[in-house]
Amino acid sequence: MAVRGRRAGHRDYDSKKKRKEAEIQQALSSDPIDVATLRRMAISEGGLLTDEIRRKVWPKLLNVNTDDLPLPPGKELREDNKDYQQVLLDVRRSLRRFPPGMPDEQREGLQEDLIDIILHVLKRNPQLHYYQGYHDIVVTFLLVVGNRLATALVEKLSTHHLRDFMDPTMDNTKHILNYLMPIIDQVNPEVHDFMQSAEVGTIFALSWLITWFGHVLSDMRQVVRLYDFFLACHPLMPIYFAAVIVLHREQEVLDCECDMASVHHLLSQIPQDLPYETLISQAGDLFVQFPPSELAREARQHAERMAASTFKDFELASAQQRPDMVLRQRFWDRLRGEERTKSVLTKPRTNRLVKLAVMGLTVALGAAALAVVKSALEWAPKFELQIFP
Amino acid sequence: MMAAAAELESSLELSLGGGAGPGGLPPARSRIFKIIVIGDSNVGKTCLTYRFCAGRFPQRTEATIGVDFRERAVTIDGERIKIQLWDTAGQERFRKSMVQHYYRNVHAVVFVYDMTNLASFQSLPSWIEECKQHLLANDIPRILVGNKCDLRNAIQVPTDLAQKFADTHSMPLFETSAKSPNDNDHVEAIFMTLAHKLKSHKPLMLSQPPGSGEMHLKPEPKPAMTCWC
Ligand SMILES: Nc1nc2c(ncn2[C@@H]2O[C@H](COP(=O)(O)OP(=O)(O)O)[C@@H](O)[C@H]2O)c(=O)[nH]1
Ligand SMILES: [Mg+2]
Repeated sequence: MAVRGRRAGHRDYDSKKKRKEAEIQQALSSDPIDVATLRRMAISEGGLLTDEIRRKVWPKLLNVNTDDLPLPPGKELREDNKDYQQVLLDVRRSLRRFPPGMPDEQREGLQEDLIDIILHVLKRNPQLHYYQGYHDIVVTFLLVVGNRLATALVEKLSTHHLRDFMDPTMDNTKHILNYLMPIIDQVNPEVHDFMQSAEVGTIFALSWLITWFGHVLSDMRQVVRLYDFFLACHPLMPIYFAAVIVLHREQEVLDCECDMASVHHLLSQIPQDLPYETLISQAGDLFVQFPPSELAREARQHAERMAASTFKDFELASAQQRPDMVLRQRFWDRLRGEERTKSVLTKPRTNRLVKLAVMGLTVALGAAALAVVKSALEWAPKFELQIFP
Repeated sequence: MMAAAAELESSLELSLGGGAGPGGLPPARSRIFKIIVIGDSNVGKTCLTYRFCAGRFPQRTEATIGVDFRERAVTIDGERIKIQLWDTAGQERFRKSMVQHYYRNVHAVVFVYDMTNLASFQSLPSWIEECKQHLLANDIPRILVGNKCDLRNAIQVPTDLAQKFADTHSMPLFETSAKSPNDNDHVEAIFMTLAHKLKSHKPLMLSQPPGSGEMHLKPEPKPAMTCWC
């Protein structure tokens, strides 16, 4: 019985996969290309399935023209680049990101390519600044789509999804991390309060956010699956996914000693066997229920009320004035009277995939996007404009 | 892939795992010495902290993004103490707005430079300055560590230069190697020396934020411990 059941399950999976592949092919060959469907495919169970499909679909998700790829970057870039030394150090140390069986020679060649791609993008976009962890993103593209296409995709990504991480300072990155606690609070206030009293901060999620989890996940298949998801969604989706991971581990967190070191250590070690498909769909749900524009509005109100000096230096502000605390307070105020539920994640929801795909679409659409995120724009023009040029 | 990740992460388990350390798990209430390790990228901060907490040189390290944390339980004069090492990212951009939070309540600072890289030595003033700003108080124990002394033919920072610098800033200087197996005891000795200082000095103040009490630790400038490799 069990065996037959499993086989049937397998057949079921195979036929689902076949169906999905066909759907993707159809979307790719329709004229114009059906990007909305491709986004939905990238988000839904299993993502884009194979690297072969990824090579075709990722450029579409990023609206990159594959007929007109830049020449592979040359070595001359290394001469006068201020980031060259740092890039070199980080790439040399990134052995873990290459397939374990790969011959040294091949790996070293790819590491050289990796350096060239990074320097190429930085050179062409002087407004972008290298950060440690950027190489973890670029290597993923290099391994999946190869040198030339990776260069084009990474350049697009860097001026969109990753733009905020590439500012001269990490202030915007820090701001994005500040969304984490309010999201957690929506779903499980107990976990939120526990983390708050441990003063754990949010740096445990920093490498998750700025490498799209490439730095912390060992299994490349999980990494590319997440990249499918993030490429199809709003640039802030990784922070929702980070929140979902913390929430998934709620019991471990609550069982932890309530101090910064213990909680930081627990959370920064990501379990390698997370149920990715479930978490992806939970992150999607949370995004739809608490879209960033809503969080941003809360943050804006907060920013207005805050004295400039304390805003500049969060550490000097009292705990009550910290942005995430205030965000949280606002949420409580707003939710008071409404049904306050701890089971946000299990609430019935309709059209999640469709909505998500629309949110993702906004990234590529320019004008439409501006309308969608108008409220966010009012609050942080710089941040959103960078994402939606 | 997994193996490398597991290796780098095993230091804490090593120290927290039941009975792993000498004398086993410390009681929940044991005192904690929180030490932050800073310096340029690639000077060996991750290797040094790993060496102390796991007892060996890691096969490979990756760029540290943000802040990593390692811990080891030790016994000093019969008292169980947890030594927490906060290993920070070297790239400047992480320092300004990110690492700040982790300077909270630190009891000591370890500045690291790479003896084979003059630039990493020349960055020290800015690290010291930054540390001053974060800690608000200037009187917590600080030490200076020159790493990679095993690369004898590539030394760019002469000991007397480093010593002079250390004297100017009233810090003891240690030259060592996280890599050379002969130096295992030496890296250990450095952190243990620091722990002894912390323990013997105003023990009751240690759980207070720095600056709130008079935790004066007279630095005694002394000649650099010679490299034992
Ligand atoms: N020869 C030698 N190499 C070292 C030593 N310590 C670290 N390294 C190497 O220096 C590089 C950077 O080390 P890492 O600990 O990652 O530096 P961090 O950026 O300061 O954390 C790595 O390739 C290490 O293998 C040492 O004592 N001797
Ligand atoms: Mg490091």
